[in-house]
Amino acid sequence: MNAIDPEIAGQLASELPREDFVRIVRTFEDDLGRLARLLEAAVAAGDEEGYRRSAHSLAGAAAAVGARRLEQVARIAMDHRNPADPRVLALQVRQEASEALAELSALAEHPPGAS
Amino acid sequence: MAASAARILIVEDTPTQAEVAGALLRTLGLETRVAETGAQAISIAQTWRPDAILMDLELPDFSGFETMRRLRTEGVEAAIIVVTAHGSVNHAVEAMREGAVDFIVKPYAKARLTVTLQNALEKRALATELREAKAQLGRDRFFGFIGASATMQAVYRTIESVAASKASVFITGESGTGKELAAEAVHRASPRKGRAFVTLNCGAIPRDLLESEIFGHVKGAFTGATDSRAGAAKLADGGTLFLDEIGEMPIEMQVKLLRFVQTGTFQPVGASRPEKVDVRIVSATNRDPWVEVETGRFREDLYYRLYVVPLHLPPLRERGEDSLLIARHFLAAFAREEGKRLRGFTWEVEQVLRAYSWPGNVRQLQNVVRNIVVLHDGDRVEMSMLPPMLLRGAPGQGAVVPDPVGAPPVEPEALPVVPPCVAKEPPVPMPAQPAPTFAPHQAAPLAPPPQNEAFQPLAEVEKRHILAALDRVAQDVPRAAALLGINPSTIYRKLQAWRSDASG
Repeated sequence: MNAIDPEIAGQLASELPREDFVRIVRTFEDDLGRLARLLEAAVAAGDEEGYRRSAHSLAGAAAAVGARRLEQVARIAMDHRNPADPRVLALQVRQEASEALAELSALAEHPPGAS
Repeated sequence: MAASAARILIVEDTPTQAEVAGALLRTLGLETRVAETGAQAISIAQTWRPDAILMDLELPDFSGFETMRRLRTEGVEAAIIVVTAHGSVNHAVEAMREGAVDFIVKPYAKARLTVTLQNALEKRALATELREAKAQLGRDRFFGFIGASATMQAVYRTIESVAASKASVFITGESGTGKELAAEAVHRASPRKGRAFVTLNCGAIPRDLLESEIFGHVKGAFTGATDSRAGAAKLADGGTLFLDEIGEMPIEMQVKLLRFVQTGTFQPVGASRPEKVDVRIVSATNRDPWVEVETGRFREDLYYRLYVVPLHLPPLRERGEDSLLIARHFLAAFAREEGKRLRGFTWEVEQVLRAYSWPGNVRQLQNVVRNIVVLHDGDRVEMSMLPPMLLRGAPGQGAVVPDPVGAPPVEPEALPVVPPCVAKEPPVPMPAQPAPTFAPHQAAPLAPPPQNEAFQPLAEVEKRHILAALDRVAQDVPRAAALLGINPSTIYRKLQAWRSDASG
C-alpha cells in the first residue's frame, strides 16, 4: 500500500490549480511538523489528553490529503482502548509522515494528466 | 453552481483540512473565510453573515454542537453542514437534531461538496423566503401600529417600500387612524432614522406665526423676536419634517412651502440669505386633498409636489379583527398603569367592540378602554361596564348587543360606511352622562320654513335632518337613531341609498 491514496490525492491534484495543490502540500508539511512535535511532547510528559488531541488532528490532516497509512496510525493513537505503546506510535507517525510528504511532493511536481 | 456568489465559513482547526476545503470552494467561485475556534466562528458569522457554514465538530474551545447552539442564539441563519470523520454517523444524526441541514463525511470529493452545498443553500433560500412571506402576511405590529388585518398589511408594505427613498409621502385618513404614527414609521424605517423627526401641526399654529415656525426667524425680524430661532425645516435637516393638517395651511404660506419643496432652500423671517437643507417631507390631512385643490383651498402645484407617494390609513371599521387586537393591547397597558385586575373582555363585549363603527377610530377606542379601566375593576370587562354610546340602538335599547344564545355576531363589513370627511374628534366616553337631547336650532330642518321660503322636498329635509343628527353625535349611528327616535337600521338603509344615488 502506498503512503498516499491516489484516488483522493490524485483527484485533488487534478481538480485544483497547481498553486493551490502546492499550497495544500506545504500546509500539510507544516501541520505534520507541528503536530508530530506536540504528539512527542505529550508522550514525554505522559499527557494522555494532549496525545489524543494531537493524534486526532493528525488523522484529520492525513485524511484530507489521502495519507491513508498515516491516518491509520494516528487513529490507533486516538483510540484509548488500544494497548499500543505511545512511544512506538510516535515513531511510526514520523515515519509515515515523511513517506506521505515525499509522495505528495512528487504528485505536486507531476500532477495526473500533466505531460 | 447556482450559489456562485455565496459566502462559506469554514470552521476547522486543522489548517490542512481548512486549506483543502477552501481550495475546493474557491474553484466553485465561492467566497470563503476560516475560523479555527468556536468563538472565532461566532464572531466572524455575526459580522460577515455567511450563507453556509462547514462545521467541524472537534474544536479547541468548545464543540461544534455548542458552536451551533450559540450561532442560533446570536441569530445567525446560515445553513450549517457538519463535517464528520469516518464512523461518526451518530454525530451526524445529533447534528441534524441540533439544526444542521446536512452532513458530509471527510475526506470529500469536489462533486460531493458541490451537491451538498447547493442543496443546503437552496434549503436556506426557501426557508428565508417562507419566513419573509409569513412575516409580510402575519405581522400584528409594525413600529407603533397594532393590527394584523389585510388592509394594515398593505399599509406596512407601502411604508417599507417608500422608507428608503427621499420621495414625499402624503398620508390621508380619518381622525384617529394614526397618521402621525405612519409618518414616524416612515422616518424610523428610513436611512434618516438617526436624525430628527420634526412634527408641525399646521392647523394648530396661528397663521401669522406659521412661517416663523417652519423657517425660523432672525433677531429683530418682528416685534417680540428678541433672539434668532431655528424653524422646523432647519431642525429637521438630514431627517424628516412632518406637516400635519397640511390642508389647514393658508394659501400664501403654501407658495413659500412650494419654493422650499422645489429647491430645498428657505429664508428665515427677516434673514437676507437663503439656507439649504436636506429634508424629507411627509404631509397628512383628514380631508380629501384633491377636493381641496378643486375648491381652490390648496395649490395644485404644491399638491403634485407633496402627493408623490399616497398612503391611505383605513378607518378602524374597515380593519376587521384589529379593533379587538387593539382593545386588548390598551386594556393590558391601562390595567397595568392603573393597577387594575382587568385581563380581558367577555364574549358579549368582544362582539360589541367588533361590531361598533368607531367613528373616532383608534383614538376613540383608546378613550373607551381607558374610561372602562379607570371606572371599573374585576377579572374581565363586562357589558355593564361599557359606555352607553356602544350599547344604544340595540334591540330593546337596541343596537349591536349580540344575542347571548349564539346568534351570529354583526359582521363589521355589514356596517355602514360613515362619510369620511365628517368624522370629528371622538367624544370622551362618559358612561354616567345622560344621552344629549337634540334641540334643533333655528335653521334646523324641522323648523317650519319662513313664509317667503319655498318648501323643500320631504326627502331632502329628512336627509339634512339625519345628517345633522349624525354630526351631533360624531357619526354614531345607534346614538343618532336614539336621538331621532327611529331604529338604527333605518339610518343604515338611508345612508346606503344616498351613497348609491351619489355614485349612480
